[in-house]
Amino acid sequence: MADPAVYSGSSGRGSSKAVTSPSENYCLARRRTLQVAVSALLTESGFDSAEKAAVETLTEMMQSYINEIGRCAKAYCEHTARSVPTLSDAVVTLIEMGFNVDTLPVYAKRSQRMVITAPPVTNPPVTPKALSAGQKRTHPPHIPGHFPDFPDPHTYIKTPTFREPVSDYQVVREKAATQRRDVERALTRFMAKTGETQTLFKDDVTTFPLIAAKPSTIPYLSALLPSELELQSLEETDSSEQDDQTDSENAAGNNLTDDPSADKENSILPPGSVVPSSKSSEENLIDNPYLRPVKKPKVRRKK
Amino acid sequence: MVLNSFLCLAVVCINNINFQRKSVIGYVELTIFPTVVNLNRIKLNSKQCRIYRVRVNDLEAPFIYNDPTLEVCHHESKQRNLNYFSSAYTAAVSAVDPDAGHGELVIKVPSELWKQGDELKVLKVYIEFSLDQPKGGLHFVVPDVEGSMAERAAHVFSFGYQNSTRFWFPCVDSYSELCTWKLEFTVDASMVAVSCGDLVETIYTHDMRKKTFHYVLPIPTAAPNISLAVGPFEILVDPYMHEVTHFCLPQLLPLLKHSMSYLHEIFEFYEEILTCRYPYACFKTVFVDEAYVEVSSYASMSIFSTNLLHSAMIIDQTPLTRRCLAQALAQQFFGCFISRMSWADEWVLKGISGYIYGLYLKKTFGVNDYRHWIKEELDKIIEYELKMGGVLLHPTFGGGKEKDNPTPHLHFSIKHPHTLSWEYFKMFQCKAHLVMRLIENRISMEFMLQVFNKLLSLASTASSQKYQSHMWSQMLLSTHAFLKSISNVSGKDIGPLIKQWVDQSSVVKFFGSFAFNRKRNVLELEIRQDYTSSGTQKYVGPIKVTVQELDGSFNHTLQIEENSLKHDIPCHSKSRRNKKKKIPLMNGEEVDMDLSAMDADSPLLWIRIDPDMSILRKVEFEQADFMWQYQLRYERDVVAQVEAIVALEKFPTPASRLALTDILEQDQCFYKVRMQACFCLAKIANSMMSTWQGPPAMKSLFTRMFCCKSCPNIVKTNNFINFQSYFLQKTMPVAMALLRDVQNLCPKDVLNFILDLIKYNDNRKNKFSDNYYRAELIEALTNSLTPAMNISNEARTVVSLNPDVRLILEEITRFLNMEKLLPSFRNTITVNCLKAIRQLQRNGHIPSDPSLFKSYAEYGHFVDVRVAALDALIDYTRVEQSPTELQWLLDMVQNDPVHYVRHRILGMLCKNPPFTRTSDSILCNEALVDQLWKLMNSGTSHDWRQRCDAVNLYYTLFGLTRPSCLPLPELGLVLNLKEKKAVLNPTIKPEVSGATLIDTPASIGIHGVGMCYQVDEEPDPVSLGVCGVGQPPQGLKRKAETPLGSPPEPGQVLQPQDDDARGGGGGGGGGGRFKIRFNTMEEEDIDMETVHDSQAFIHQHLHLLERPSTPGKEPPSVEQPMLSLPATPAPVFSKETTSASSKHGSDHGHHHHHHHHEHKKKKKKHKHKHKHKHKHESKDKDKDRDNSHTYSNSPASGRSIRSPSLSD
Repeated sequence: MADPAVYSGSSGRGSSKAVTSPSENYCLARRRTLQVAVSALLTESGFDSAEKAAVETLTEMMQSYINEIGRCAKAYCEHTARSVPTLSDAVVTLIEMGFNVDTLPVYAKRSQRMVITAPPVTNPPVTPKALSAGQKRTHPPHIPGHFPDFPDPHTYIKTPTFREPVSDYQVVREKAATQRRDVERALTRFMAKTGETQTLFKDDVTTFPLIAAKPSTIPYLSALLPSELELQSLEETDSSEQDDQTDSENAAGNNLTDDPSADKENSILPPGSVVPSSKSSEENLIDNPYLRPVKKPKVRRKK
Repeated sequence: MVLNSFLCLAVVCINNINFQRKSVIGYVELTIFPTVVNLNRIKLNSKQCRIYRVRVNDLEAPFIYNDPTLEVCHHESKQRNLNYFSSAYTAAVSAVDPDAGHGELVIKVPSELWKQGDELKVLKVYIEFSLDQPKGGLHFVVPDVEGSMAERAAHVFSFGYQNSTRFWFPCVDSYSELCTWKLEFTVDASMVAVSCGDLVETIYTHDMRKKTFHYVLPIPTAAPNISLAVGPFEILVDPYMHEVTHFCLPQLLPLLKHSMSYLHEIFEFYEEILTCRYPYACFKTVFVDEAYVEVSSYASMSIFSTNLLHSAMIIDQTPLTRRCLAQALAQQFFGCFISRMSWADEWVLKGISGYIYGLYLKKTFGVNDYRHWIKEELDKIIEYELKMGGVLLHPTFGGGKEKDNPTPHLHFSIKHPHTLSWEYFKMFQCKAHLVMRLIENRISMEFMLQVFNKLLSLASTASSQKYQSHMWSQMLLSTHAFLKSISNVSGKDIGPLIKQWVDQSSVVKFFGSFAFNRKRNVLELEIRQDYTSSGTQKYVGPIKVTVQELDGSFNHTLQIEENSLKHDIPCHSKSRRNKKKKIPLMNGEEVDMDLSAMDADSPLLWIRIDPDMSILRKVEFEQADFMWQYQLRYERDVVAQVEAIVALEKFPTPASRLALTDILEQDQCFYKVRMQACFCLAKIANSMMSTWQGPPAMKSLFTRMFCCKSCPNIVKTNNFINFQSYFLQKTMPVAMALLRDVQNLCPKDVLNFILDLIKYNDNRKNKFSDNYYRAELIEALTNSLTPAMNISNEARTVVSLNPDVRLILEEITRFLNMEKLLPSFRNTITVNCLKAIRQLQRNGHIPSDPSLFKSYAEYGHFVDVRVAALDALIDYTRVEQSPTELQWLLDMVQNDPVHYVRHRILGMLCKNPPFTRTSDSILCNEALVDQLWKLMNSGTSHDWRQRCDAVNLYYTLFGLTRPSCLPLPELGLVLNLKEKKAVLNPTIKPEVSGATLIDTPASIGIHGVGMCYQVDEEPDPVSLGVCGVGQPPQGLKRKAETPLGSPPEPGQVLQPQDDDARGGGGGGGGGGRFKIRFNTMEEEDIDMETVHDSQAFIHQHLHLLERPSTPGKEPPSVEQPMLSLPATPAPVFSKETTSASSKHGSDHGHHHHHHHHEHKKKKKKHKHKHKHKHKHESKDKDKDRDNSHTYSNSPASGRSIRSPSLSD
């Protein structure tokens, strides 16, 4: 009773997916076989019928178990630098999964086992051949034959698609200069178009537009600090940055220890705050009054 | 103060600094030891401070606050001549001069303490004060952005020219009054207060929102050496010297780190040569925005301009910043630690600090750079002295003579640092260090350093003593002590040297020429001197002459004497024809020379006069062109090379060209010489335009040095690792652009070449920034500009633009616009673009228009940009004679927040004046005269330097006498109806009295006795002529100076013409008065009685004070009744008051600004104040004369008169 039910369900699904791809068919066939095996085992164990959901669950578990064995065995084999698992791999896997291998032969030869008919042969799916271009290279003699084949030549062979660049120094410089000038001109013109401008000629505002001079609030910053562009090139050429960085960390550390100590609790802090600051400057042994922590007001000193 | 008590400790406490309102509140507590019994008045210096209360030993003390420098010439007279102003200003400064024991703030010691004074007990003077929006002394920088004051990088710092500490707290503002200090500053918790001395502790206030910085300065220090800087500074402890701390504004820390990374080397250098440790326990450098000067040194700290900071990519700024640091540090030793005894001794300190700074330069930048620098400084001082008259290092005043002015050629008095023009002061410093170098030449450097060491060790011993020991005066350096120390250490007499260069002003001017006498094998050298023109003096003494002959270089010491001009120098080399022989040079080197150019009969290669620059001189020497060329090529001294380059300008020959080109190519040669050679080559090329062969000068050279081998029209990508060639690469295009072709245009080749340099400039691979290089390329473009065909302003349109100029303009536009997006260091590119645009305008290519410059000159641009824009505007004002722009500039002088910019505007206006006293201009009108007068009279009282700048400008525009554009004073006489007598119109009279003060000849005329030595000093034939005669020739002389000069002498000339109702009698009277004033001293007293104006009265008085006691001539008759009989002055004063008030009535319009400096309370008592002033002056004087029985004139009696005005 159970089987037909299972069957009908599966056949129904099979019919509904009659037009599926061969690889899907293959999967379905395999699963069906597995289901049969599970049902046989159930019968063997004395079940008369089973709910569909239960059978499905058990099938799923079985499949997972077998998958795991396969995966593990493969892993063991690859671990020992082989490509095909051997019996020992499978055995180790089983042991690893907590299965008593010794009981396996006995179980296989048990008397009441049911024989399942071989599943109908279905063709394993054929992976569609990728578009191959050109002749694949054969392995050179020092590479064993079991190694994978070379990929298609187009994946590794350079195929120039442009003209040889002009490497003439003069032309390059010329180009770079022109390009830069064009960029600059376009950029400044754009800025001038979109912002306020000043002009040198009253009658003609467009020929020589000047971006209007805007006073800034802190003019020395932009005038003294190197621009980002310059900084970039500096980093590329300069390696003396490291010292500076450690320095700034020190300074920052000291600042940090200064300030929090200010905000935290009052009475206990002085010793507490001294420790980190002295620690951070220990290597330099800097005793500078400006780095010392700020003292708390004495209570007595109020008026 | 100085005379009758000692200051031993000063506590300055500033409780509150409000950045929002720009105000400061604090108190000062001075501990004073009286040295006389019965000290009843204490005079202190204080300007612009509002004083709330004064207590002496916890007793409230009455005080008077009077600052005569607020408004120099009080009553609004029509008087407008500079002579008058200068004398009045000098008198005002003298009246509060702390060195003479005067001050603006007079505190009466409460009578309860007099008894105590008998026992010479300590007095504690406690003064509470506040400052509101200070215009001088302290500068607040508060950027107008969002956020807290710390986030806005708001900061405040003290500044000033010479002793200016009185601007921010009451003190004895003298360099010679030392005391120890306790300084406390309470600032916002996010801020740091940096001040002099050791930071003892930092304590939070109770609300934890502020902290108090406690400083102690145990080393006795003068008040002018105290400073303060408060701001949200980033702190950098010097990694090499932990007692040195650097402070900069937020975000600049990386720059600070780089810029300060070599400070320790400077420290080490000075400590080593002086064999003396840095005298203070710590040192602080603070970098602030809107600095007054680039470097200012105070006790244990220096304040610098933030613009000195730079990153590692900047080449040009690096040496400049190092120099500034070295200068600051040198002044720490001499100037801060060792202070000066009096103003007359300033030259010693400036000299020593400048001299050791020079030694640092020699060590760091090399001997070549040092010698080049000395030569530059020498040229500078010579140029100044020849133009403006002598610079006197050690002025002696008084000395038995009255009104003795050692520098009659100057339009200002050198009696006080505060009356000096800034330029003069710079030249003074320059001369001081040059003279120190001369002393070194005489006594050797070793002795020199020993002297310094001795001075320093004396001072440091003294500094550790207690004040009672009176050892502190060892920390003050005087000329006398310095000279004594020199003679002790070296055993040499440098008297003549000091007399020549220190006690006398002026430089020496030599003219040299020579002839070779073949028969005698003798070089006949003729050295003449010009010692009659202004700024020159006669030199008598040794002079070194170096002759390079074929057989070697020989030094000869000649003696310059009164009448001998010719000197025979025997030559060593018999004849030349030792072919193929190497020629030994001075430094022992032997070189091959091509001798074909030289004169076959003479063995002389070149001759140098005074090669070591051991005389402050200008030498004009004549020798043949080939000799200069040899000198340029083979003399190894950079100074000789520079001299040769200058001389070669006059010899535009192919040989000169070759010599210059060779020098240019030689990388052994000092780079500054090579740079100078570029410009000389350009000039020579222009002179030999028609015969010039080959490509434009320097083009092929530049191509060879800096362009690609494969494509010579393209410059290599920038690599500035070799600084010498970097500087050359920068300079050559600039010099090339000066080349002109036959049409007087810049050759097309050259222009295209420069445009290509700009086009192909590529800095991507460079370790250094190319901003200076690009800026120089813009300057090159500017130099290539020549006047346009069409000059009229309307015709200058885009269409009519010359195609070359169009290219230039395009580059400039692009540069200027790019700068907005990627600003360059110190905006060098904008600066040069502005210059270029002005040059385009001036040459008539684009319309002359000031609006662009005005926008760049606004506050909020980088200071260099502003100065460049202002320079362009000033040029525009001059060329276009535009009154609006001049007014705009003058408004900025009055209102700009940045002191430096105000100073620069005035300075640039002097350099490039819109008109001068000899030219006629529509700009020269009465309103302008009034405005400038007001500016220097009262508008600049907060800044000594700026006031002197204004005086300079006034002098440049109008000269010493009454400006010619002013209407003639209508009336020679004023009838005072109340007094029922005629008085000389004040607009005329004080001018004459001014003349007596300023012009030596006049004073000679008056006091004919004891003047012979003065006559000796004064070689000017005109004044010699004057001295016997007195006044009238004086008038003639001035007339000669000013072509339109009739107005200044109306007193004599005009009155007869002016003759009507009162003229008849009054004119005669006026004339008589002149006579009286100038001939007899006794009559001057009568004059004083009739003076109807209080201010003029003060001046009279002050002048009298200036005269040191010549008892016979002293006019005691007026003062005596005033002092001893308190009843008598009353009517005098009331008379004065009425006359003054009548004056108020008559021209009230001019009067309103009269009061605006004083606060309201004082306003009413204004007139009384003058009275007190007379009282003090006269009393002081009285005291000076006779210290023992002054006390009859007790303060009580004085008080009875002035009691209504006392504000206690």
